[in-house]
Amino acid sequence: MSSIAAQLILNGVIAGAIYTLVASGFSLIYNVTKFMHFAHGAILAIGAYLFYAFFGLGWAVALPVSIILTSILGALTNFLVYRPLRKRKASSAVLLISSLAAMIFLNATLLAFWGADVKTLPHANPIFDVGIASITATQIAIVAVALLLLLGLTLLMKKTRLGKAMRALADNKDVAQTVGINPERIYTVAFLIGSALAAVAGILIGLEQNLNPVMGIQLVINGFAGAVIGGMTSVPGAILGSLLLGLVENIGIWWLPSGYKGAIAFALLFLFLLFRPQGILGKKQREA
Amino acid sequence: MALLGYFTHLGILVCIYAILAVSLNLALGFTGLLNLGHIAFFGIGAYVAALLGLAGLSPWIDIPLAVVIAALVGVILAIPTARLKGDYLALATLGFTFIISSVARNWTSLTRGALGLPGIPRLGSISVVLAFVAGFALLCFLVVVWISRSSLGRKLQAIRDDELAAQVLGTNTFLYKLIAMGISAAMAGLAGAWYAHYISFIDPSIFSIPDLILLIAMVVVGGLASVRGAFIGTVIILLLPEPLRFIGFPPTLIGPAREMLFALVLLLILLFRPRGILGKVDIS
Amino acid sequence: MMLDVRGMSKHFGGIYAVKDCTFSVKEGTITSIIGPNGAGKTTLFNLINGILVPDAGAIVFQDQVITGLKPFEIARAGISRTFQLAKVFKNLTVRDNLLLAKQATDTELQETLKKMHYARDLDAKAGDLSYGQQRLVELARATLLPHKLLLLDEPTAGVNPAVRKELATILRDLKKQGNTILLIEHDMDFVMGISDEIVVLNEGTVLAQGSPEAVQKNPRVLEAYLGK
Repeated sequence: MSSIAAQLILNGVIAGAIYTLVASGFSLIYNVTKFMHFAHGAILAIGAYLFYAFFGLGWAVALPVSIILTSILGALTNFLVYRPLRKRKASSAVLLISSLAAMIFLNATLLAFWGADVKTLPHANPIFDVGIASITATQIAIVAVALLLLLGLTLLMKKTRLGKAMRALADNKDVAQTVGINPERIYTVAFLIGSALAAVAGILIGLEQNLNPVMGIQLVINGFAGAVIGGMTSVPGAILGSLLLGLVENIGIWWLPSGYKGAIAFALLFLFLLFRPQGILGKKQREA
Repeated sequence: MALLGYFTHLGILVCIYAILAVSLNLALGFTGLLNLGHIAFFGIGAYVAALLGLAGLSPWIDIPLAVVIAALVGVILAIPTARLKGDYLALATLGFTFIISSVARNWTSLTRGALGLPGIPRLGSISVVLAFVAGFALLCFLVVVWISRSSLGRKLQAIRDDELAAQVLGTNTFLYKLIAMGISAAMAGLAGAWYAHYISFIDPSIFSIPDLILLIAMVVVGGLASVRGAFIGTVIILLLPEPLRFIGFPPTLIGPAREMLFALVLLLILLFRPRGILGKVDIS
Repeated sequence: MMLDVRGMSKHFGGIYAVKDCTFSVKEGTITSIIGPNGAGKTTLFNLINGILVPDAGAIVFQDQVITGLKPFEIARAGISRTFQLAKVFKNLTVRDNLLLAKQATDTELQETLKKMHYARDLDAKAGDLSYGQQRLVELARATLLPHKLLLLDEPTAGVNPAVRKELATILRDLKKQGNTILLIEHDMDFVMGISDEIVVLNEGTVLAQGSPEAVQKNPRVLEAYLGK
């Protein structure tokens, strides 16, 4: 295998790892609450910017503070916007529109506070050779963190009471309530965990590339695409889909002008929505 | 004099956005299609008019062509997406907008990419443009009002309220969705073509998601399925942030402040008065 | 024969909702489909209507094979239907609801509504009506649509006894006017009192078909209803 091919595949895996972090948080929220929380992208960006803001105080401070704050912000969005709408029996379409509005609002606050220019996080980033390709320390961290978090998420979903409650809600909200599961409380937890994952994704991207106010939008589309391709109804699906997307994107720009990289996600998303909306691993939803 | 120019400029923008809001209302409020691709039709109309205008065609030709092409794209998009449910339709049409935006940004040999297309021929003085655009806005308004009172409008609303029930009454809902999208896209293309010829410069930023939310805000605030409501919603949403200019707001903050404002208005309306000002439709 | 269902089968993920189902509906009669919950009755309606596509079997309507046609095509062929949960267009007026079935004058609409014992006016918004009234509007709408066969899915579900009695009269009147009616019902008194033919469905297949008296005495039917 040529060195370039190997490098592209490696890049694809790394991109896939990032998208997986975005997709898993997003699909966790979607499976539990049953609507598309577009503002996830803005939450992600805010996580990155908060890390940037606290960067001067050192990693040990910046990392937990930014993740915790972002996590709370996500839960707050749920509490202030989605929860009241749910009380008013809003449809998932209305919730989607509201999440778009929330996304715009949060993005605008980002612009207002930090401005539109691109920011970087200077840090030591040694490069390592991996056979015929090379990988930076940050990229190793990305893959490692993604693997750890996804392992943690899977364990959470399968082994803990909380995870079981989430899966019960995802399966059938009414039945879950009859066994004493409190949906709103579980939603809050889903938003806390999902937003934390988004923050981690944002921070890793900020370290790997840079920070800009619209970073969230492209990433959340890629995250959605990954989740839809792999199958929205399962976390392994989100992982598979995101990985595939990362690979296709990076190998795809071998043939396409690199500017179209972003469009690959949209095109795949579009195709899957039309022809296989349940994704690769997902089960076909029965019409009510 | 400068003030008159400012008001005329606002008037033109209000008319252009009103056409967009009224046409989005046709798809969203009347037919229940959560079409997030509306801004793509606007941009396509603008680019077609711009490219043809810059190539030397008379605006009497490039504007109608922009309308036709936008309508065609609308129908083509509707064909595969017609069977998608609410939020999946939204996602697919949003993806479509992103794809078109990406094409505009990357097909540099045609669109000059991020550099945009400057020097699009103007069609007369600012008052002339206002007269034309106001006339078209009125025309679109009347067309949609006529539709809303006709049996076509009844069928579209039936599709919105209960597509299956419409089908068992013999309505080919697929066909009607195409019709709604086609007309809606055609008007958006018209707005885009006039926008291009007025502002005289367009670039890929025309496919802006915030502007899409702006449009949705206009339609929701005014009231779904209310044509007058769409006009009122346009006026409110567009003019609301204007006072910011005059109270000494730092220029870099006007953009974000504007966005925060209409996002907030949309959220508040959804929470407290989801029917909007004149709407009669329950969104649930 | 108005309607012929032959060997109809439909499964979901390996479980058969309807299996090798065969029965027929004579013109000008009221035929009722009864059966325990989960017997596949509504699935059968959805198959006849075109909402679901069968895995096997055929549906013949007035000598025309309609299997595989889309719902709107089947409606235009002359089959009109109501649903288990009344499907009215909530944001439209009663008038608009009815006009979608047929372009008619207000007078004709009023007459149809009167036949349904509908109590309110044409300008009422369908979403504002009580559930019982919505059912009547839906029924009126279904009869207004030019049709040869009426499919009624549990017309008495969720309505009070007074409306139930009215429905029996309405259906008898419809039959007198030459309508052919196929209905799904759980209310045994209602069914026995009004039907010319009864089709008993159990676990997706036809257990028995015949007059109410014959079906009531059929041992297999009794076993299905009481033996379980």
